Amino acid sequence: MEALTIALPKGRLQEQVLALFAAIGHDVAEKAALSRKLILPDVTGALRYVLAKPSDVPVYVEYGAADLGVAGLDVLREHERGLYEPLALDVGHCRLVLAGPADQRERNMRLATGLRVASKYPHLAQRYFTRQGISAEIIPLDGSIELAPAVGLADLLVDLVETGRTLRENGLVELETILDVQAMLVVNRASYNLHLGTIQELIRRLAAEVARRADHAE
Amino acid sequence: MPEDEYALRSQLPHGLTDLFAQEAADKTALEDALQETFRRWGYQRIILPTFEYDDTLATGASAELRRDMYRFFDREGHVLALRPDMTVPTARVVGNKLYDQTLPQRLFYVGNVFRHEEPQAGRRREFTQAGIELIGAGTAEADAEVVAVAIAALRAMGMRGFQVNLGQVAYLQAMLNDTRLQNGQLHQLEQAIDRKNDVELQRVLADLGLCGDVAAAIRALPHLCGDAAVLDEAARLATNVPARAAIELLRTVYDLLRLEGVADLVTLDLGEVRRMAYYTGISFLAYVETLGFSVCSGGRYDGLLRNFGADLPAVGFALGVERCLLVTQPGSAIAPDLVVHGCQNPGCKALANRARSLGLRVRVDVLQRDEPALLAYARAEGARAVLFCRGADTYVLTRDERAGGDRRSRTLTRAAFEEELAQWKR
Repeated sequence: MEALTIALPKGRLQEQVLALFAAIGHDVAEKAALSRKLILPDVTGALRYVLAKPSDVPVYVEYGAADLGVAGLDVLREHERGLYEPLALDVGHCRLVLAGPADQRERNMRLATGLRVASKYPHLAQRYFTRQGISAEIIPLDGSIELAPAVGLADLLVDLVETGRTLRENGLVELETILDVQAMLVVNRASYNLHLGTIQELIRRLAAEVARRADHAE
Repeated sequence: MPEDEYALRSQLPHGLTDLFAQEAADKTALEDALQETFRRWGYQRIILPTFEYDDTLATGASAELRRDMYRFFDREGHVLALRPDMTVPTARVVGNKLYDQTLPQRLFYVGNVFRHEEPQAGRRREFTQAGIELIGAGTAEADAEVVAVAIAALRAMGMRGFQVNLGQVAYLQAMLNDTRLQNGQLHQLEQAIDRKNDVELQRVLADLGLCGDVAAAIRALPHLCGDAAVLDEAARLATNVPARAAIELLRTVYDLLRLEGVADLVTLDLGEVRRMAYYTGISFLAYVETLGFSVCSGGRYDGLLRNFGADLPAVGFALGVERCLLVTQPGSAIAPDLVVHGCQNPGCKALANRARSLGLRVRVDVLQRDEPALLAYARAEGARAVLFCRGADTYVLTRDERAGGDRRSRTLTRAAFEEELAQWKR
């Protein structure tokens, strides 16, 4: 049978996720190639990994260019793409929060006009405010979101935090948690059904490894 | 004329396309194969208007589909819309006109539908749907027939490596009937199950205050995917009689598909609960190797016809033809079989028509090309042969010898050529 393709997010999560797959016997065949190659077979020949920009992983999987993938819930919810999300991998934990200067805490946002919110997640931010019945102008930015309130570009921001240190260093406080984020295993719908047995077995082994690690941590 | 005005005039709006040459021929071939399959299963074609009242077309449509419809006004101020699918107009026709005809009605359609959505995997803002509706039979036999026709249709297009995902939304609906959930809450539940996301499903169940046997049965749904063993597990988890009955119905459908010899192409999936508000029984999707998207979707929708005055059960499916074209190219022949030079000789005309009557594709030159120019034209178009006349009953036939790349010319009489034509195979 042809190898299943798994799209993994380059960067922060890459190593932790590869370690998970290695623990169930799907180590990368050629470790030295990790830094230069974008497509890497595993030692069994049953899987091959492709390394993609984290926010692109769901695109690869939706189009079936990769059968499976690993993506944060933040990325998955920002653009709904109709993927299966059969397993939470218990890595890459963080939160999507609404944050701002401490004085914003007292503000009744429902009455505010001209509220400006900077975010890397314009859709998620917009959906949050719509649900709260708050009219806000979302300003999409690509990075250094903390900067926006400091220079008067925005009143608030919606961004990912792990510990909250960056926020505090910039004199900002968390106002609300919008989404609890962790890395999910995602699967293309067609692949799931066409390779049902193989994929279910892979999920079962990964789930067992995730559970083993959780027990270990306790 | 300003440059950008010209540019706009010669371009298409985003999400539309023209099809020609090989692609157009291949699409036609797929449509022909589909229509022939539907006819062989006893279905009759229904031809529907491209636009009708917005109110009609929006009946039973999901919020997304209503959002994606193209609307406009007529001179009286009525809101009209381009049809976004073929099922609702078909239901209207049956409800208004065919309701007292012999049941069940077996109808098929091939037609373009219009949706304002981003083009994806062959599907553009105008695309062709081909499908069937089996109306007036609420039986497992009707369900199984529709799934079997879908499989026959995929095979008729030359698809290989496909799988049908067969679910039963009545199972979940029956169990939820015991709870008092609102529509909005249902959507969250449907979404979590559809994503097979256990963590989210757990949270939604807690938010909705669902616990006990019902929660346990719902938590299992994303995992109830596979062969007949899935049915035993679902029956064991069923919390009421209607839920058990829904599973037994699915079991009957599956057994009938086994009798058809196609059960190995069917995966049972009780986590297939999308569009739960629309479907009322079985629902299914078909997936093909190398394409990440479904090519076909269908199911039972017993509530829809009621909106048009006839309370009839119905089951059907639709295929996206352009999407199918991404995974199966019939490679239809489009080159001419014979090119004939243009002249006043009635014998040439007669031979051209003789060839046509044998089913060959014949082009007669209308640009008065001389012999070398016509030979060059024929070669460029991939024609098999070129015919010239040299007098009353003398013809020169030049055939391309594909292997050698060179040509062989022979001089023939009309009778000899007619004899030779009869040997040509398409």
